[in-house]
Amino acid sequence: MGTAEEDYNFVFKVVLIGESGVGKTNLLSRFTRNEFNHDSRTTIGVEFSTRTVMVGNAMVKAQIWDTAGLERYRAITSAYYRGAVGALLVFDITKHQTYDVVERWLKELYDHAEATIIVMLVGNKTDLAQAREVPTEEAKMFAENNGLLFIETSALDSTNVEQAFETILRDIFSKVQKQQQRSPQDNAVSLSSENPHGGSQTPEEKRACCISL
Amino acid sequence: MSGGGGPRQRGGGSAERPPPGRRREELLGSKRKQKLLLIHQALTSDPVAVETLRGAAVSEGGLLTDEIRRKVWPKLLSVNVYNLPPKPGRAVRQNHKDYTQVQLDVSRSTRRFPQGMRAEQRQVLQEQLIDLILNILRAHPELHYYQGYHDIAVTLLLVAGERLGSALLEKLSTHHLRDFMDPTMDSTKHILNYLMPILQRESLRLHDFMLRAEVGTIFALSWLITWYGHVLTSFPHILRLYDFFLASHPLMPVYFAAVVRPTAVLSPGPQPPVERCPQPRPARGAEVSPCSPLP
Repeated sequence: MGTAEEDYNFVFKVVLIGESGVGKTNLLSRFTRNEFNHDSRTTIGVEFSTRTVMVGNAMVKAQIWDTAGLERYRAITSAYYRGAVGALLVFDITKHQTYDVVERWLKELYDHAEATIIVMLVGNKTDLAQAREVPTEEAKMFAENNGLLFIETSALDSTNVEQAFETILRDIFSKVQKQQQRSPQDNAVSLSSENPHGGSQTPEEKRACCISL
Repeated sequence: MSGGGGPRQRGGGSAERPPPGRRREELLGSKRKQKLLLIHQALTSDPVAVETLRGAAVSEGGLLTDEIRRKVWPKLLSVNVYNLPPKPGRAVRQNHKDYTQVQLDVSRSTRRFPQGMRAEQRQVLQEQLIDLILNILRAHPELHYYQGYHDIAVTLLLVAGERLGSALLEKLSTHHLRDFMDPTMDSTKHILNYLMPILQRESLRLHDFMLRAEVGTIFALSWLITWYGHVLTSFPHILRLYDFFLASHPLMPVYFAAVVRPTAVLSPGPQPPVERCPQPRPARGAEVSPCSPLP
């Protein structure tokens, strides 16, 4: 990453959500560092990583927020959905229970994120094909009916991980472009991330960060 | 920016030159002996000199060895070692609502066990850890499991074993960790919010920087609720901190966060992305590095 990290045209905030133990942290480490850890420790609260990728003709810095899956952390993690332009809703294809609650996760997301957020349903752990409990078609159908992108991945053997992130980033990018064409002056405001901890800042100060360069 | 200021000068100020290695070791050795003696005297006096033990736990080097910790930690928590609970046993697992989650978290905690420990031995301890945790939860239905509780429990288990570990964990759970074990994390969030005002007094520059960066206080959540056990890789460091926290007010981990944060954020090198840019950023004219850390 190094200096290339600093060279980007867009920052897209993407959140990783889903039940505890479905592989969110390993999907993230596979994407940002090409690493997989068999005893990846529990995520407590929220952690995040970034990776800058080329999308179309622009450098996009994906700022990916990995969240704890456990119910009791929801009140803390959901505050971090705000300002996200994309979400990967992950379930474990070998544990039907993690798929059964996808609808609840969606509701949670739409309650706290902007309505325009792009959501991708991700069935992880395809390397454990012999233990599959959620048929691909079933999840695919659900995604279609709910206007979600859909993909199956394996963070362990890398299958489709790159593709999952690239697809959602591309979708977000084309949405941003459309929005820019419609109101070129406005985009920074309409897509800006908000402060989940109360607005102690003035818009001027915020601007000092990125806009008025 | 580490050390706050320009590059550190080597060999400057000959009057303060440290003693040669040998002499330094001897000094440390005699200090250590003094401390061991002090702790021994405090433990054998009648009644036990708890305040002296508290001082020893806080001061340089902490409680020095696990053998001493096994004697002093119970005193710091008023745990009666002559009346310890029995070993938890497997029965605690039956139909417990948190069993699956505890098992999931414990199985993912192999890094918390000493490097080089045989896998079979570690697995035995992991099973004990599950029982230890569920035993407390079963005895106290008002306490709710949180991810990170296992980080505290494993530290106690590794130092004190099943029976003493269980007694220590119970005391901590009903006192120091009590707020984290509410049905919701509201109290925990509230406690985390103490961080910013404390930081404001400790380092106004950092405080203002963090407000500007809009990072919130969530980064310190695991520090607080695991007493840093989740994020530190060195077990001796974790134990040194546990000595300190066991001898201090339950809010000490928050104060501690305000002290470690300046070096973590203001030092150069790879950092958590503390910037949160409004997006997108204009493609051209970016002479100034966006969201740059403090000058």
